[in-house]
Amino acid sequence: MILALVVVTALGFDFTNGFHDTANAMATSIATRALRPKTAVALSGILNLIGAFLSVEVALTVSNAVVRIQNPDGTPKASLLADGGTALLLIVLAGLIGGIVWNLFTWLLGLPSSSSHALFGGLVGATIAGLGWAGVNWNGNGTKLDGVVGKVILPALISPVIAGVVAAVGTWIIYKITVGVAQRFTENGFRWGQIGSASLVSLAHGTNDAQKTMGVITLALIAAGDWTDTGSIPFWVKAACAIAIALGTYLGGWRIIRTLGKGLVEISPPQGMAAESSSAAVILASSHLGFALSTTHVATGSILGSGVGKPGAQVRWRVAGRMVAAWLITLPAAAVVGALMFYLGDFIGGVAGAVVIFVLLLVAAAGMWVRSRFTPVDHTNVNDEWDRAPDAAAPVEPVSAGSAL
Amino acid sequence: MHNLGFALEGAWKVLAASLILGAGLPALFALGIRSLAWGAGGDAEVHETGVTGPRPRPIGNVVGWILFAVVVLGVLLGITFIVASGFGKALSFEHIFPTIVDK
Repeated sequence: MILALVVVTALGFDFTNGFHDTANAMATSIATRALRPKTAVALSGILNLIGAFLSVEVALTVSNAVVRIQNPDGTPKASLLADGGTALLLIVLAGLIGGIVWNLFTWLLGLPSSSSHALFGGLVGATIAGLGWAGVNWNGNGTKLDGVVGKVILPALISPVIAGVVAAVGTWIIYKITVGVAQRFTENGFRWGQIGSASLVSLAHGTNDAQKTMGVITLALIAAGDWTDTGSIPFWVKAACAIAIALGTYLGGWRIIRTLGKGLVEISPPQGMAAESSSAAVILASSHLGFALSTTHVATGSILGSGVGKPGAQVRWRVAGRMVAAWLITLPAAAVVGALMFYLGDFIGGVAGAVVIFVLLLVAAAGMWVRSRFTPVDHTNVNDEWDRAPDAAAPVEPVSAGSAL
Repeated sequence: MHNLGFALEGAWKVLAASLILGAGLPALFALGIRSLAWGAGGDAEVHETGVTGPRPRPIGNVVGWILFAVVVLGVLLGITFIVASGFGKALSFEHIFPTIVDK
C-alpha cells in the first residue's frame, strides 16, 4: 500500500519535473517564434521520451549523494528495513512530496527553480526528520566531490556562471561575424541552429532527469522486497518514468517558459542559438566530467549570458534576482516540507500516516492549480509583451500555498 | 573545504570544453551563414546604396556548407555521447578522435 503511494508520488514528481523543465530547452525557440509553442513542447516531449529510454545505466544510488539511506551498492540500509521497509518508504514518500510541492509552488510563481534541488531538498528534510542530522551526507568523505555541499550547492553556484560566460562569448562572436549580413539570411539560419541546439538540450534532459525518478522507485521496490537486482531496473518502471516526464514536458510549464523566454531578455534567434548551444555544451561537458548540475541553472545562466553578450540588449536583472532568490531557498524550503510530512506521517503511523500525507499532497496540488487559473498562462499568451502583462510572474501572495499545505 | 577544491578543478575543465563546443560551434555556424550570404552576392550583404551588389560567388556556398557540416559533426558527437553514456559507455578522446569505450 505505502509502496503504491511511493510509486504514484514518484511518477507525479517525474511529471512536474517534465513540465517544470520544458522551458530550459524550449523557452528560447518559443520566444523567437522559431517554433510554434505547441510544436516546441511536442518536440521536446518526444525527445525527452527517447532520452529516458536511452538511459540504460542504473541511477539507483542517486540519493547517496545527499542522504545516508542506502549502502554504497544501492541496497537500502538494513536498519531501515524492519517492518517491510516502512521507515525507508516513508522517508522517500515525504521527500518526494516536499519536492513536488516546491515544484508546483515555483511554477505558480513562474520561477524556473531546479527540480533536482527540490527532490534532494525533500529527501534531506525527510531524512533529518527521520534519522537526525547525521543521516545527511553533508560534505562527502573528502576523496571526491560529494555530499550536499559538493553535489548540490557548489555546482549550483558555479554552473550558471560558466553557462553565462559561454553564452555571452558565443552571442558576442555571432553578432561580430554576421554584422552586415541581410536579415533573411541570419533569421532563417539561426532559427535552424536554435531548433537543433534546443533539441540536444531536451534529449540530454530526458537521459539525466528521468533516471533520478527511476532510481528512487527502484529503491522503494527493493525496500519493500519486490525487487532484488541492484544492477537493473524493472522495465515497467523505466516505461512509466519515460512517459511521465514526456507527458509533463508536453503539457508545458507555460508560466516558466514565459519567464525564461520573455522575462529575462528579449531574445533574437542568434541569441537563442548561442544560449542553447551553451546549455547543451555545459550539460554534456559536465556530465562527461562527472560534475553534477541542474539543467535549470545552466539554461537560466545561458539566457542571461546571451543578453549580456548582445550589444545594446537589456537584461531585466530584477527578474533574474527573483530567480536566484528562488534557487537559494529551493533546497531548504523543500526540506521543510519533506520534514513536516515525515513528522506527520510518522506521528499517525503506518499506512494511515502515508495515506494522510498523500492526501495532503493532492490538496496542495489542487489548491495551487486552482490558484493558477486566476492568471492563466498557456500557449496562446506565452509570448505577450512582458511589461504589459506582468501578472503572469508577479509575486502571488504566499497565503494561497501556505494554507494549502 | 576539500569540496571547493574539487569543484574548482572540475569547473575550469567544463568552462574550457564548453567554450570550444558551446561558443566555437555557433561561431562556425555564424561563419557559415556569413559565407552563404557572401556567396549569394546581391543584397545578401550590406553594401553602398545605389550600387548593385556583387555578383554571386559560388565558392561562398561551398565554404558555407563545409562549415555547416563541421557543426553537424560536432552535434553528432554530442548525441553519440548522450547515447553512449546511457548504455554505460564513455567517449574517450585518448586517440584524438573520439572512440567509444567501456566506463
